[in-house]
Amino acid sequence: MNEPAREHILTSFEDALRDSRSSVLRMASVAQQNLEHAVSGLLTRNIELCNEAIAADDEVNAFEKAIDRDGMEILMRFSPVATDLRHVLAAMKIANNLERISDEAEGIARRARKIAKYPQIPETAMMEPLYGMASALFSDGIRAYAELDVDLGLSLNERDEKLDKAHSKTIKELTRAMERDTKNLKVYLHLIFVVRCFERIGDHAVNIGEESVFVESATDIRHIGAEALKEGALGVSP
Amino acid sequence: MLMTTLAMESETIAGAGRIEEATQEAVPAPLQSKLSIKSVDFFYDKFQALYDVSLEIPKGQVTALIGPSGCGKSTLLRCLNRMNDLVPEARLEGEILFNGKDLYAPEIDVVDVRRQIGMVFQKPNPFPKSIYENIAYAPRIHGVVRSRSEMDGLIEACLKRVGLWDEVSDRLDQPGTSLSGGQQQRLCIARTIAVEPEVLLMDEPCSALDPIATARVEDLIAELKEDFTVVIVTHNMQQATRVSDRTAFFLLGKIIEFGDTSNLFSNPENQETEDYISGRFG
Repeated sequence: MNEPAREHILTSFEDALRDSRSSVLRMASVAQQNLEHAVSGLLTRNIELCNEAIAADDEVNAFEKAIDRDGMEILMRFSPVATDLRHVLAAMKIANNLERISDEAEGIARRARKIAKYPQIPETAMMEPLYGMASALFSDGIRAYAELDVDLGLSLNERDEKLDKAHSKTIKELTRAMERDTKNLKVYLHLIFVVRCFERIGDHAVNIGEESVFVESATDIRHIGAEALKEGALGVSP
Repeated sequence: MLMTTLAMESETIAGAGRIEEATQEAVPAPLQSKLSIKSVDFFYDKFQALYDVSLEIPKGQVTALIGPSGCGKSTLLRCLNRMNDLVPEARLEGEILFNGKDLYAPEIDVVDVRRQIGMVFQKPNPFPKSIYENIAYAPRIHGVVRSRSEMDGLIEACLKRVGLWDEVSDRLDQPGTSLSGGQQQRLCIARTIAVEPEVLLMDEPCSALDPIATARVEDLIAELKEDFTVVIVTHNMQQATRVSDRTAFFLLGKIIEFGDTSNLFSNPENQETEDYISGRFG
C-alpha cells in the first residue's frame, strides 16, 4: 500500500477525510503552542504566558469535540473501510490524546502561576531537559501522523522509556532537595507534579505514534513494549 | 493471499492465515471445500469473461463475490450450477469440483446439479401459481415427498425456515405474486431449499428490496449457512461485510483478492481492492 492513494469518486468523502486530518494537525499545533507557553511561563515566571496556555485549552477542547463529531458524520454518511476507516478512527483517538496533552499543559501553567508567587529555586531549571524530551516526542508523534512515517512512529516507545527514566531520576533529586530545603516544600511539590505532566505527555505522544503506525500499516502495536518492537514484533520493522 | 489460495490443497482451505501470524494463537481447523474452482477460463463465444479463476468455496460458510459491473462475478456464479450451459456459444475451460467431483463431467445430470446447487435471483421470480404450489413444484418433480401430508409438512417447514409461515399460513392458496417484494424473495428462497440443496447461489438477492426486507433476507442468510453453503454476488459492500465469512474481489474477469471478509475490508493486500472497496475507482 505504498503507492499514493487515488482520490475518492465521491468528492464530499474526499473533502471530509481531508478536513478531518487537517483539523487534527491544527489541533496539534494549538496544543503544542499551549505547552510551549506553559513551560516558558514556568521557566521565565511569566504569568501572561501561563494565562494564555490556560485560556487556549478551551480551543483544544472545542477541536476535540469537532473532530469527534466530524468522525461520526463520516462513519454515518460514507461507511469508510480499510485505510479510510483507520484514518477516521485514528483522527478521533489522536484528538483525544491531544486534548490530554493540552490538559497537561494547562496543569503546568496553573502550577507555574503558583510557583511564581514563591522565591525562585535553581531546581526549576531541571524542567528544561524533561520538556525538551517530551516536546520532541510530541513533535515526532505528530510528524509520524502527518507523514504517515511508520519508522518514526515505532521509534517513540523506546525514546519514551528514556523520558520515564529521566522522570524518575528528577523526582528522586527533587525529593532529596525537599529534605535539604524544607522552607520551599510547596515549590518542590509543584515541580514534582510538573515532572509527572512531562511523563504523561510522553505517553500521549507514543499513543499518537502508535495510531500513525496503525493508519499506515494496519498493525496494532499498542501494549507490546519497546523490546518487542525492537525485535520486529508483528512483522513491523522498528 | 491469492497465491496462498492457489496453493491450497483441493480439499481443504487453511483458515485465517494472517491471524496465525499476528497472534500465534491456535490455528482454526481446516475448512472443507464444497466447491473447488480450478483455473477456470470462461468464454461467451469469442469474448473471454473469466481468466484463470481459482477459488475454494468452504462448506458451511458464506462467500461473497464483489466487483464492478462486468467483472465476471455473476458469470462465475452461473458456472457453479451450469446455468451458463443454456447460453449458446458459451464454453468453460478448467475445472469446477463439487464435493470433489467434476461438475462438468459428461455423466453428470445437469438437472440434479441444479437441485443440489440452487439459485436465488436478483428479482424475486415466483411462479404464477399459489404460494403452496411455488414450494411444492420442485419437490414433486424431484420425487422428494410421497404423500400430501408429507408435502404439507415440507411446505410448513420451508416457510418457517425463511420466516414466512406466520405471514402466509392462512393464505397458501393465494398467488405467490400477491406477496410483497421481500416476501416474494423469501418465498423464492423457501422454494430453493425445499429440495434440500447443499449450496445456495444468490445473485444480488436484495437489490430490489427495501431496507427492512433486506435485513430479513440478510438475517436469513446467517441462519441458512448452518445447513447450506452460500455464495452471494452483491454490489452492496456493507452487505458483503455483514453476511459473508470470505470475500472474493473480481476485476475484468480476474480474481484480484480472496480472503477473510474482515481482513479484506479492513486491510486489503491489493491496491486495486482497496481502491474499489473505498470508492476510489474511476
